[in-house]
Amino acid sequence: MEAASKTKTTLPNRLGIKGWAWAGRYKIERYLYTLHRLTGFGLLAYVALHLVANGSRLWGEGGWESTMNFLSNPGFKVGEYLVMAAFIYHALNGGRLMLQHLGFTLGKPKPPVYPYVDAMRRRRPLTLALLALIMGLAIYVLVAFIIYR
Amino acid sequence: MRENHLKILQYVTGIGLFFLVGGYHLLLMHLGKGDPESWSSVAQRAASAGWLTIYILILIFGIYHGLHGVRGLILELSLPNRAVKVLNWSIVLIGLAVFGYAVYIPIQAF
Amino acid sequence: MEKITFKVQRYDPDKDKKPHIQQFIIPFRHGMTVLDGLIYIKENVDNTLSFRSSCRMGICGSCGMLINSLPMLACHTPIEELKKDTITVKPLPNFPIVKDLVADLSALFAKHKSIKPYIMPQDMTEADKPTAEFLQARGQLEEFVQFAYCVKCGLCMAACPTVATDKHFLGPQPLAQSYRYSADRRDCGAKVRFHETDTPHGIWLCHLAGACSEACPKGVDPALAQQLLKRAMISDSLRLRKKPVPPSVAPPPAEKKPRIAVPEFTIKQPGTKS
Repeated sequence: MEAASKTKTTLPNRLGIKGWAWAGRYKIERYLYTLHRLTGFGLLAYVALHLVANGSRLWGEGGWESTMNFLSNPGFKVGEYLVMAAFIYHALNGGRLMLQHLGFTLGKPKPPVYPYVDAMRRRRPLTLALLALIMGLAIYVLVAFIIYR
Repeated sequence: MRENHLKILQYVTGIGLFFLVGGYHLLLMHLGKGDPESWSSVAQRAASAGWLTIYILILIFGIYHGLHGVRGLILELSLPNRAVKVLNWSIVLIGLAVFGYAVYIPIQAF
Repeated sequence: MEKITFKVQRYDPDKDKKPHIQQFIIPFRHGMTVLDGLIYIKENVDNTLSFRSSCRMGICGSCGMLINSLPMLACHTPIEELKKDTITVKPLPNFPIVKDLVADLSALFAKHKSIKPYIMPQDMTEADKPTAEFLQARGQLEEFVQFAYCVKCGLCMAACPTVATDKHFLGPQPLAQSYRYSADRRDCGAKVRFHETDTPHGIWLCHLAGACSEACPKGVDPALAQQLLKRAMISDSLRLRKKPVPPSVAPPPAEKKPRIAVPEFTIKQPGTKS
Protein backbone atom coordinates (compact mmCIF):
# COMPACT_ATOMS: atom_id res chain seq x y z
CA MET A 1 0.00 0.00 0.00
CA GLU A 2 2.77 2.41 1.00
CA ALA A 3 4.69 1.55 -2.13
CA ALA A 4 1.90 2.97 -4.26
CA SER A 5 2.33 6.38 -2.63
CA LYS A 6 6.11 6.57 -2.99
CA THR A 7 7.32 8.25 -6.10
CA LYS A 8 10.95 9.24 -6.55
CA THR A 9 10.27 12.86 -5.72
CA THR A 10 8.23 12.64 -2.51
CA LEU A 11 9.88 13.39 0.81
CA PRO A 12 9.04 11.15 3.79
CA ASN A 13 7.32 13.15 6.53
CA ARG A 14 6.40 10.60 9.19
CA LEU A 15 6.66 11.99 12.72
CA GLY A 16 8.22 8.78 14.05
CA ILE A 17 8.67 8.10 17.76
CA LYS A 18 8.47 11.85 18.35
CA GLY A 19 4.77 11.41 17.53
CA TRP A 20 4.38 9.08 20.54
CA ALA A 21 6.04 11.42 22.99
CA TRP A 22 5.00 14.82 21.68
CA ALA A 23 1.36 15.41 22.56
CA GLY A 24 1.53 19.06 21.46
CA ARG A 25 -1.76 20.91 21.47
CA TYR A 26 -3.98 17.85 21.72
CA LYS A 27 -6.28 17.31 24.70
CA ILE A 28 -5.87 15.31 27.91
CA GLU A 29 -6.37 11.79 26.43
CA ARG A 30 -3.30 12.30 24.23
CA TYR A 31 -1.23 13.03 27.36
CA LEU A 32 -2.79 10.08 29.23
CA TYR A 33 -1.70 7.88 26.28
CA THR A 34 1.93 9.04 26.58
CA LEU A 35 1.91 8.63 30.36
CA HIS A 36 0.40 5.14 30.04
CA ARG A 37 3.37 4.10 27.89
CA LEU A 38 5.90 5.69 30.21
CA THR A 39 4.41 4.05 33.32
CA GLY A 40 4.23 0.73 31.44
CA PHE A 41 7.95 0.93 30.67
CA GLY A 42 8.66 1.96 34.27
CA LEU A 43 6.74 -1.00 35.68
CA LEU A 44 8.47 -3.39 33.31
CA ALA A 45 11.87 -2.03 34.39
CA TYR A 46 10.81 -2.46 38.03
CA VAL A 47 9.76 -6.08 37.43
CA ALA A 48 13.14 -6.80 35.81
CA LEU A 49 15.00 -5.21 38.77
CA HIS A 50 12.74 -7.01 41.24
CA LEU A 51 13.55 -10.38 39.65
CA VAL A 52 17.28 -9.62 39.68
CA ALA A 53 17.08 -8.62 43.36
CA ASN A 54 15.04 -11.76 44.15
CA GLY A 55 17.78 -13.80 42.49
CA SER A 56 20.12 -12.92 45.37
CA ARG A 57 18.22 -15.51 47.43
CA LEU A 58 20.24 -18.09 45.53
CA TRP A 59 23.35 -16.90 47.44
CA GLY A 60 21.74 -17.73 50.79
CA GLU A 61 20.88 -15.53 53.75
CA GLY A 62 24.07 -13.48 53.50
CA GLY A 63 23.53 -12.61 49.85
CA TRP A 64 19.88 -11.72 50.48
CA GLU A 65 20.64 -9.48 53.48
CA SER A 66 23.42 -7.61 51.67
CA THR A 67 21.09 -6.98 48.69
CA MET A 68 18.35 -5.71 51.05
CA ASN A 69 20.88 -3.44 52.77
CA PHE A 70 21.96 -2.07 49.38
CA LEU A 71 18.34 -1.45 48.36
CA SER A 72 17.39 0.25 51.64
CA ASN A 73 18.95 3.60 50.64
CA PRO A 74 16.59 6.62 50.20
CA GLY A 75 16.98 6.65 46.41
CA PHE A 76 15.41 3.19 46.08
CA LYS A 77 12.72 4.10 48.64
CA VAL A 78 11.67 7.10 46.50
CA GLY A 79 11.79 4.76 43.50
CA GLU A 80 9.37 2.39 45.25
CA TYR A 81 6.88 5.21 45.79
CA LEU A 82 7.23 6.15 42.12
CA VAL A 83 6.56 2.53 41.17
CA MET A 84 3.44 2.54 43.36
CA ALA A 85 2.26 5.79 41.73
CA ALA A 86 2.95 4.32 38.27
CA PHE A 87 1.02 1.15 39.17
CA ILE A 88 -2.02 3.12 40.39
CA TYR A 89 -1.98 5.36 37.29
CA HIS A 90 -1.45 2.46 34.87
CA ALA A 91 -4.24 0.45 36.52
CA LEU A 92 -6.75 3.31 36.58
CA ASN A 93 -6.04 4.49 33.05
CA GLY A 94 -5.99 0.86 31.92
CA GLY A 95 -9.45 0.46 33.43
CA ARG A 96 -10.67 3.51 31.52
CA LEU A 97 -9.15 2.23 28.29
CA MET A 98 -10.67 -1.19 28.75
CA LEU A 99 -14.13 0.27 29.31
CA GLN A 100 -13.82 2.59 26.33
CA HIS A 101 -12.27 -0.04 24.02
CA LEU A 102 -15.37 -2.09 24.70
CA GLY A 103 -17.54 0.87 23.75
CA PHE A 104 -18.70 1.67 27.30
CA THR A 105 -18.88 5.25 28.68
CA LEU A 106 -18.66 6.64 25.14
CA GLY A 107 -22.35 6.74 24.26
CA LYS A 108 -23.94 6.12 20.90
CA PRO A 109 -23.04 7.67 17.56
CA LYS A 110 -24.94 10.90 16.84
CA PRO A 111 -25.42 12.69 13.55
CA PRO A 112 -22.81 15.49 13.62
CA VAL A 113 -24.21 18.95 14.37
CA TYR A 114 -21.88 21.96 14.43
CA PRO A 115 -20.03 22.72 16.72
CA TYR A 116 -18.85 19.12 16.78
CA VAL A 117 -18.12 17.49 20.12
CA ASP A 118 -16.61 14.01 19.99
CA ALA A 119 -17.80 11.20 22.24
CA MET A 120 -14.74 11.29 24.49
CA ARG A 121 -15.15 14.99 25.21
CA ARG A 122 -18.92 14.65 25.60
CA ARG A 123 -18.52 11.86 28.15
CA ARG A 124 -15.31 13.11 29.81
CA PRO A 125 -17.04 14.16 33.09
CA LEU A 126 -18.64 10.70 33.39
CA THR A 127 -15.34 8.92 32.71
CA LEU A 128 -13.45 11.09 35.19
CA ALA A 129 -16.17 10.62 37.82
CA LEU A 130 -15.99 6.85 37.31
CA LEU A 131 -12.21 6.87 37.70
CA ALA A 132 -12.45 9.08 40.81
CA LEU A 133 -14.98 6.63 42.27
CA ILE A 134 -12.70 3.63 41.64
CA MET A 135 -9.71 5.53 43.03
CA GLY A 136 -11.71 6.63 46.08
CA LEU A 137 -12.77 3.03 46.75
CA ALA A 138 -9.18 1.83 46.37
CA ILE A 139 -7.92 4.48 48.83
CA TYR A 140 -10.76 3.68 51.25
CA VAL A 141 -9.91 -0.05 51.20
CA LEU A 142 -6.20 0.72 51.67
CA VAL A 143 -6.79 3.12 54.59
CA ALA A 144 -9.30 0.76 56.21
CA PHE A 145 -6.80 -2.12 56.06
CA ILE A 146 -4.01 0.02 57.52
CA ILE A 147 -6.23 1.28 60.38
CA TYR A 148 -7.89 -2.02 61.32
CA ARG A 149 -5.06 -4.47 60.71
CA MET B 1 -4.19 -17.21 17.82
CA ARG B 2 -6.06 -14.27 16.45
CA GLU B 3 -5.15 -10.74 17.50
CA ASN B 4 -8.47 -10.11 19.25
CA HIS B 5 -8.00 -13.23 21.41
CA LEU B 6 -4.58 -11.91 22.43
CA LYS B 7 -6.20 -8.58 23.28
CA ILE B 8 -8.93 -10.23 25.37
CA LEU B 9 -6.17 -12.00 27.32
CA GLN B 10 -4.46 -8.61 27.77
CA TYR B 11 -7.66 -7.26 29.37
CA VAL B 12 -8.10 -10.35 31.56
CA THR B 13 -4.49 -10.30 32.77
CA GLY B 14 -4.76 -6.54 33.40
CA ILE B 15 -7.79 -7.00 35.65
CA GLY B 16 -6.14 -10.01 37.30
CA LEU B 17 -2.93 -8.10 38.00
CA PHE B 18 -4.84 -5.21 39.58
CA PHE B 19 -6.40 -7.54 42.16
CA LEU B 20 -3.46 -9.91 42.57
CA VAL B 21 -0.75 -7.26 42.96
CA GLY B 22 -3.06 -5.08 45.07
CA GLY B 23 -3.97 -8.03 47.31
CA TYR B 24 -0.37 -9.27 47.48
CA HIS B 25 0.84 -5.84 48.48
CA LEU B 26 -1.86 -5.43 51.13
CA LEU B 27 -1.22 -8.87 52.62
CA LEU B 28 2.53 -8.45 52.58
CA MET B 29 2.94 -4.88 53.77
CA HIS B 30 -0.07 -4.26 55.97
CA LEU B 31 -1.49 -7.56 57.24
CA GLY B 32 1.65 -9.62 57.68
CA LYS B 33 3.58 -9.82 60.93
CA GLY B 34 7.23 -8.80 61.20
CA ASP B 35 9.53 -7.49 58.50
CA PRO B 36 8.34 -8.86 55.12
CA GLU B 37 11.84 -8.46 53.70
CA SER B 38 13.63 -10.50 56.39
CA TRP B 39 15.20 -13.84 55.38
CA SER B 40 12.88 -15.82 57.70
CA SER B 41 9.72 -14.19 56.25
CA VAL B 42 10.90 -14.81 52.69
CA ALA B 43 11.70 -18.45 53.49
CA GLN B 44 8.30 -18.88 55.20
CA ARG B 45 6.45 -17.52 52.16
CA ALA B 46 8.44 -19.72 49.77
CA ALA B 47 7.30 -22.76 51.76
CA SER B 48 3.63 -21.74 51.71
CA ALA B 49 1.47 -23.16 48.89
CA GLY B 50 -0.89 -20.14 49.07
CA TRP B 51 1.88 -17.56 48.67
CA LEU B 52 3.50 -19.58 45.88
CA THR B 53 0.19 -19.78 44.02
CA ILE B 54 -0.26 -16.00 44.19
CA TYR B 55 3.38 -15.51 43.15
CA ILE B 56 3.08 -17.82 40.14
CA LEU B 57 -0.24 -16.27 39.07
CA ILE B 58 1.28 -12.78 39.28
CA LEU B 59 4.23 -14.04 37.23
CA ILE B 60 2.05 -15.53 34.50
CA PHE B 61 -0.28 -12.52 34.32
CA GLY B 62 2.56 -9.99 34.61
CA ILE B 63 4.79 -11.62 32.01
CA TYR B 64 1.91 -11.93 29.53
CA HIS B 65 0.62 -8.39 30.11
CA GLY B 66 4.07 -6.80 29.97
CA LEU B 67 5.37 -8.71 26.98
CA HIS B 68 2.14 -8.28 25.01
CA GLY B 69 2.44 -4.52 25.63
CA VAL B 70 6.06 -4.52 24.44
CA ARG B 71 5.09 -6.58 21.38
CA GLY B 72 2.49 -3.92 20.48
CA LEU B 73 5.11 -1.18 20.74
CA ILE B 74 7.58 -3.10 18.56
CA LEU B 75 4.85 -3.79 15.99
CA GLU B 76 4.26 -0.06 15.81
CA LEU B 77 7.79 0.45 14.51
CA SER B 78 6.60 -0.51 11.00
CA LEU B 79 7.65 -4.11 11.51
CA PRO B 80 7.24 -5.96 8.18
CA ASN B 81 4.85 -8.91 8.19
CA ARG B 82 7.71 -11.39 7.73
CA ALA B 83 9.37 -10.18 10.94
CA VAL B 84 6.14 -10.45 12.98
CA LYS B 85 6.57 -14.25 13.31
CA VAL B 86 10.15 -13.82 14.53
CA LEU B 87 8.94 -11.22 17.02
CA ASN B 88 6.13 -13.49 18.26
CA TRP B 89 8.49 -16.42 18.85
CA SER B 90 11.10 -14.18 20.49
CA ILE B 91 8.45 -12.84 22.87
CA VAL B 92 7.27 -16.39 23.71
CA LEU B 93 10.85 -17.53 24.37
CA ILE B 94 11.67 -14.48 26.52
CA GLY B 95 8.44 -15.01 28.47
CA LEU B 96 9.22 -18.68 29.09
CA ALA B 97 12.82 -17.90 30.10
CA VAL B 98 11.75 -15.20 32.57
CA PHE B 99 9.04 -17.47 34.00
CA GLY B 100 11.51 -20.35 34.36
CA TYR B 101 14.07 -18.14 36.10
CA ALA B 102 11.48 -16.58 38.42
CA VAL B 103 10.06 -19.96 39.47
CA TYR B 104 13.54 -21.47 39.86
CA ILE B 105 14.52 -18.86 42.51
CA PRO B 106 12.14 -19.86 45.34
CA ILE B 107 12.40 -23.58 44.52
CA GLN B 108 16.20 -23.62 44.48
CA ALA B 109 16.82 -21.13 47.31
CA PHE B 110 14.98 -22.93 50.09
CA MET C 1 -4.45 43.55 13.45
CA GLU C 2 -3.58 44.95 10.03
CA LYS C 3 -0.89 42.50 8.96
CA ILE C 4 -0.54 38.77 9.44
CA THR C 5 2.67 36.76 9.23
CA PHE C 6 2.59 33.42 7.45
CA LYS C 7 5.50 31.04 8.06
CA VAL C 8 5.11 28.48 5.32
CA GLN C 9 7.15 25.30 4.92
CA ARG C 10 8.60 25.18 1.42
CA TYR C 11 10.05 22.18 -0.37
CA ASP C 12 10.75 21.84 -4.07
CA PRO C 13 11.97 18.33 -4.94
CA ASP C 14 13.87 19.72 -7.95
CA LYS C 15 15.83 22.28 -5.92
CA ASP C 16 15.76 21.50 -2.19
CA LYS C 17 17.34 18.67 -0.22
CA LYS C 18 15.20 19.39 2.82
CA PRO C 19 12.25 21.65 3.63
CA HIS C 20 12.74 25.21 4.88
CA ILE C 21 10.44 27.91 6.27
CA GLN C 22 9.63 31.03 4.25
CA GLN C 23 7.98 34.05 5.84
CA PHE C 24 5.27 36.17 4.20
CA ILE C 25 3.67 39.28 5.72
CA ILE C 26 0.32 40.01 4.13
CA PRO C 27 -2.59 42.37 4.81
CA PHE C 28 -5.29 40.98 7.06
CA ARG C 29 -9.01 41.44 6.59
CA HIS C 30 -11.89 40.43 8.83
CA GLY C 31 -13.21 36.91 8.16
CA MET C 32 -10.09 35.77 6.34
CA THR C 33 -9.32 32.04 6.46
CA VAL C 34 -5.87 30.44 6.31
CA LEU C 35 -6.70 29.32 2.76
CA ASP C 36 -7.57 32.95 1.82
CA GLY C 37 -4.13 33.94 3.10
CA LEU C 38 -2.39 31.26 1.05
CA ILE C 39 -4.37 32.25 -2.06
CA TYR C 40 -3.35 35.90 -1.48
CA ILE C 41 0.31 34.85 -1.25
CA LYS C 42 0.07 32.80 -4.45
CA GLU C 43 -1.72 35.56 -6.38
CA ASN C 44 0.26 38.56 -5.13
CA VAL C 45 3.57 37.54 -3.56
CA ASP C 46 4.94 34.20 -4.75
CA ASN C 47 3.20 32.23 -7.48
CA THR C 48 5.48 29.22 -6.98
CA LEU C 49 3.77 28.34 -3.68
CA SER C 50 1.98 24.99 -4.02
CA PHE C 51 -1.02 23.86 -2.02
CA ARG C 52 -4.13 21.84 -2.75
CA SER C 53 -7.66 23.24 -2.45
CA SER C 54 -10.95 23.04 -4.23
CA CYS C 55 -14.33 23.76 -2.66
CA ARG C 56 -13.27 26.38 -0.04
CA MET C 57 -16.14 25.28 2.22
CA GLY C 58 -14.93 22.18 4.09
CA ILE C 59 -16.59 19.68 1.79
CA CYS C 60 -13.88 18.35 -0.52
CA GLY C 61 -11.20 17.77 2.15
CA SER C 62 -8.36 18.89 -0.15
CA CYS C 63 -6.75 21.63 1.94
CA GLY C 64 -5.68 19.62 5.01
CA MET C 65 -2.51 21.14 6.51
CA LEU C 66 -0.66 21.39 9.79
CA ILE C 67 -1.67 24.85 11.01
CA ASN C 68 0.04 26.03 14.20
CA SER C 69 0.91 22.40 15.03
CA LEU C 70 -2.60 20.97 14.60
CA PRO C 71 -3.96 19.28 11.47
CA MET C 72 -6.81 21.41 10.11
CA LEU C 73 -8.59 22.29 6.88
CA ALA C 74 -7.18 25.64 5.74
CA CYS C 75 -10.56 26.73 4.35
CA HIS C 76 -12.29 25.89 7.62
CA THR C 77 -9.88 27.84 9.84
CA PRO C 78 -10.56 31.56 10.27
CA ILE C 79 -7.32 33.39 11.12
CA GLU C 80 -9.05 35.27 13.97
CA GLU C 81 -9.85 31.97 15.70
CA LEU C 82 -6.16 31.12 15.90
CA LYS C 83 -5.68 34.26 18.09
CA LYS C 84 -2.09 34.77 16.88
CA ASP C 85 -0.30 37.24 14.61
CA THR C 86 1.91 34.51 13.21
CA ILE C 87 0.62 31.39 11.51
CA THR C 88 2.89 28.43 10.81
CA VAL C 89 1.69 26.26 7.96
CA LYS C 90 3.26 22.91 7.14
CA PRO C 91 2.11 19.91 5.08
CA LEU C 92 0.17 17.15 6.86
CA PRO C 93 2.56 14.91 8.80
CA ASN C 94 2.64 11.13 8.28
CA PHE C 95 2.19 11.57 4.51
CA PRO C 96 5.06 12.03 2.03
CA ILE C 97 5.51 15.61 0.78
CA VAL C 98 5.06 16.16 -2.95
CA LYS C 99 5.84 19.90 -2.95
CA ASP C 100 5.47 22.71 -0.40
CA LEU C 101 2.11 22.04 1.33
CA VAL C 102 0.99 19.25 -0.97
CA ALA C 103 0.99 15.84 0.73
CA ASP C 104 0.65 12.54 -1.10
CA LEU C 105 -2.54 10.90 0.22
CA SER C 106 -2.44 7.82 -2.01
CA ALA C 107 -1.51 5.53 0.94
CA LEU C 108 -4.71 6.69 2.69
CA PHE C 109 -6.84 5.88 -0.37
CA ALA C 110 -5.17 2.46 -0.79
CA LYS C 111 -5.84 1.59 2.87
CA HIS C 112 -9.40 2.89 2.58
CA LYS C 113 -9.94 0.66 -0.45
CA SER C 114 -8.50 -2.37 1.38
CA ILE C 115 -11.30 -2.44 3.97
CA LYS C 116 -13.95 -2.89 1.24
CA PRO C 117 -15.75 0.43 1.70
CA TYR C 118 -19.01 -0.56 0.07
CA ILE C 119 -22.20 -2.41 0.92
CA MET C 120 -21.75 -6.16 0.52
CA PRO C 121 -25.34 -7.35 0.17
CA GLN C 122 -26.65 -10.79 1.05
CA ASP C 123 -28.66 -11.11 -2.12
CA MET C 124 -26.62 -10.04 -5.13
CA THR C 125 -29.57 -10.47 -7.50
CA GLU C 126 -31.64 -8.03 -5.45
CA ALA C 127 -28.67 -5.65 -5.34
CA ASP C 128 -28.10 -5.81 -9.10
CA LYS C 129 -31.73 -5.72 -10.15
CA PRO C 130 -33.66 -4.25 -7.23
CA THR C 131 -37.36 -4.98 -7.11
CA ALA C 132 -37.96 -2.53 -4.24
CA GLU C 133 -36.21 -0.34 -1.70
CA PHE C 134 -34.45 -1.58 1.45
CA LEU C 135 -36.22 -0.39 4.58
CA GLN C 136 -34.11 1.36 7.19
CA ALA C 137 -35.45 2.76 10.45
CA ARG C 138 -34.12 6.05 11.79
CA GLY C 139 -32.34 4.31 14.68
CA GLN C 140 -30.65 1.91 12.26
CA LEU C 141 -29.43 4.84 10.17
CA GLU C 142 -28.07 6.65 13.23
CA GLU C 143 -25.91 3.64 14.09
CA PHE C 144 -23.51 4.61 11.28
CA VAL C 145 -24.55 7.87 9.61
CA GLN C 146 -22.13 9.97 11.70
CA PHE C 147 -19.22 8.01 10.23
CA ALA C 148 -20.54 8.40 6.68
CA TYR C 149 -19.69 12.13 6.71
CA CYS C 150 -15.97 11.38 6.21
CA VAL C 151 -14.41 13.51 3.44
CA LYS C 152 -11.10 11.58 3.39
CA CYS C 153 -9.05 14.69 4.15
CA GLY C 154 -6.44 12.67 6.08
CA LEU C 155 -6.38 14.93 9.17
CA CYS C 156 -7.09 11.98 11.50
CA MET C 157 -4.19 10.03 9.99
CA ALA C 158 -1.91 13.04 10.50
CA ALA C 159 -2.98 13.29 14.15
CA CYS C 160 -2.67 9.57 15.00
CA PRO C 161 0.47 8.70 17.02
CA THR C 162 0.44 5.09 15.73
CA VAL C 163 0.36 6.18 12.08
CA ALA C 164 3.35 8.37 13.03
CA THR C 165 5.55 5.28 13.34
CA ASP C 166 3.76 2.38 11.66
CA LYS C 167 3.36 2.64 7.91
CA HIS C 168 1.47 -0.68 7.86
CA PHE C 169 -1.15 0.40 10.44
CA LEU C 170 -4.50 0.91 8.74
CA GLY C 171 -5.20 4.12 10.67
CA PRO C 172 -8.32 5.88 11.95
CA GLN C 173 -9.94 6.74 8.62
CA PRO C 174 -10.05 3.21 7.11
CA LEU C 175 -10.89 1.63 10.47
CA ALA C 176 -13.76 4.06 11.07
CA GLN C 177 -15.06 3.31 7.58
CA SER C 178 -14.75 -0.40 8.27
CA TYR C 179 -17.15 0.10 11.17
CA ARG C 180 -19.38 2.43 9.15
CA TYR C 181 -20.09 -0.29 6.56
CA SER C 182 -20.18 -3.17 9.05
CA ALA C 183 -22.83 -1.36 11.13
CA ASP C 184 -25.05 -0.78 8.09
CA ARG C 185 -28.01 -3.18 8.17
CA ARG C 186 -27.94 -3.53 4.40
CA ASP C 187 -24.41 -4.93 4.61
CA CYS C 188 -23.43 -8.56 5.19
CA GLY C 189 -19.66 -8.16 4.95
CA ALA C 190 -18.83 -7.53 8.62
CA LYS C 191 -17.05 -10.90 9.02
CA VAL C 192 -14.85 -10.22 5.99
CA ARG C 193 -13.94 -6.75 7.31
CA PHE C 194 -13.29 -8.07 10.83
CA HIS C 195 -10.84 -10.51 9.28
CA GLU C 196 -9.13 -7.68 7.36
CA THR C 197 -8.74 -5.54 10.47
CA ASP C 198 -7.84 -8.27 12.98
CA THR C 199 -4.16 -8.32 11.96
CA PRO C 200 -0.95 -7.35 13.79
CA HIS C 201 -1.19 -3.91 12.12
CA GLY C 202 -4.97 -3.68 12.42
CA ILE C 203 -7.47 -2.26 14.87
CA TRP C 204 -5.62 -3.34 18.04
CA LEU C 205 -2.84 -0.81 17.48
CA CYS C 206 -5.40 1.92 18.20
CA HIS C 207 -4.70 2.95 21.81
CA LEU C 208 -7.37 5.63 22.07
CA ALA C 209 -5.20 8.74 22.21
CA GLY C 210 -8.28 10.54 20.87
CA ALA C 211 -6.28 12.87 18.60
CA CYS C 212 -8.08 11.64 15.47
CA SER C 213 -11.49 12.76 16.73
CA GLU C 214 -10.10 16.11 17.86
CA ALA C 215 -8.64 16.72 14.41
CA CYS C 216 -11.70 15.61 12.40
CA PRO C 217 -13.25 18.71 10.76
CA LYS C 218 -16.57 16.99 10.02
CA GLY C 219 -17.50 15.62 13.45
CA VAL C 220 -17.08 12.04 12.23
CA ASP C 221 -15.45 10.92 15.51
CA PRO C 222 -13.21 8.15 14.16
CA ALA C 223 -12.09 7.25 17.71
CA LEU C 224 -15.67 6.32 18.62
CA ALA C 225 -16.06 4.26 15.44
CA GLN C 226 -12.86 2.37 16.20
CA GLN C 227 -13.94 1.56 19.76
CA LEU C 228 -17.31 0.34 18.47
CA LEU C 229 -15.46 -1.79 15.91
CA LYS C 230 -13.36 -3.32 18.73
CA ARG C 231 -16.51 -4.00 20.70
CA ALA C 232 -18.18 -5.65 17.70
CA MET C 233 -15.08 -7.77 16.98
CA ILE C 234 -14.69 -8.93 20.58
CA SER C 235 -18.42 -9.73 20.84
CA ASP C 236 -18.14 -11.62 17.57
CA SER C 237 -15.14 -13.67 18.69
CA LEU C 238 -16.87 -14.51 21.98
CA ARG C 239 -20.04 -15.36 20.04
CA LEU C 240 -21.96 -12.64 21.89
CA ARG C 241 -22.72 -10.52 18.84
CA LYS C 242 -26.32 -10.49 17.78
CA LYS C 243 -26.86 -12.08 14.40
CA PRO C 244 -27.33 -9.29 11.91
CA VAL C 245 -30.92 -9.17 10.74
CA PRO C 246 -31.11 -9.07 6.94
CA PRO C 247 -32.61 -5.81 5.76
CA SER C 248 -36.31 -5.87 5.07
CA VAL C 249 -37.41 -4.90 1.63
CA ALA C 250 -40.36 -2.64 1.06
CA PRO C 251 -43.05 -4.38 -1.00
CA PRO C 252 -43.22 -3.09 -4.54
CA PRO C 253 -46.03 -0.58 -4.99
CA ALA C 254 -49.29 -2.31 -5.97
CA GLU C 255 -50.36 0.40 -8.34
CA LYS C 256 -48.06 2.47 -10.46
CA LYS C 257 -48.91 6.14 -10.48
CA PRO C 258 -49.39 7.55 -13.96
CA ARG C 259 -46.33 9.45 -15.16
CA ILE C 260 -46.58 13.20 -15.26
CA ALA C 261 -47.29 14.30 -18.77
CA VAL C 262 -44.20 15.77 -20.39
CA PRO C 263 -45.04 19.04 -22.09
CA GLU C 264 -44.57 19.28 -25.81
CA PHE C 265 -41.42 20.96 -27.12
CA THR C 266 -42.15 24.58 -27.92
CA ILE C 267 -39.54 24.57 -30.65
CA LYS C 268 -40.05 21.73 -33.01
CA GLN C 269 -37.01 19.59 -33.67
CA PRO C 270 -35.90 19.41 -37.29
CA GLY C 271 -37.33 16.39 -39.00
CA THR C 272 -40.44 16.17 -36.80
CA LYS C 273 -43.87 16.56 -38.22
CA SER C 274 -45.70 19.71 -37.20
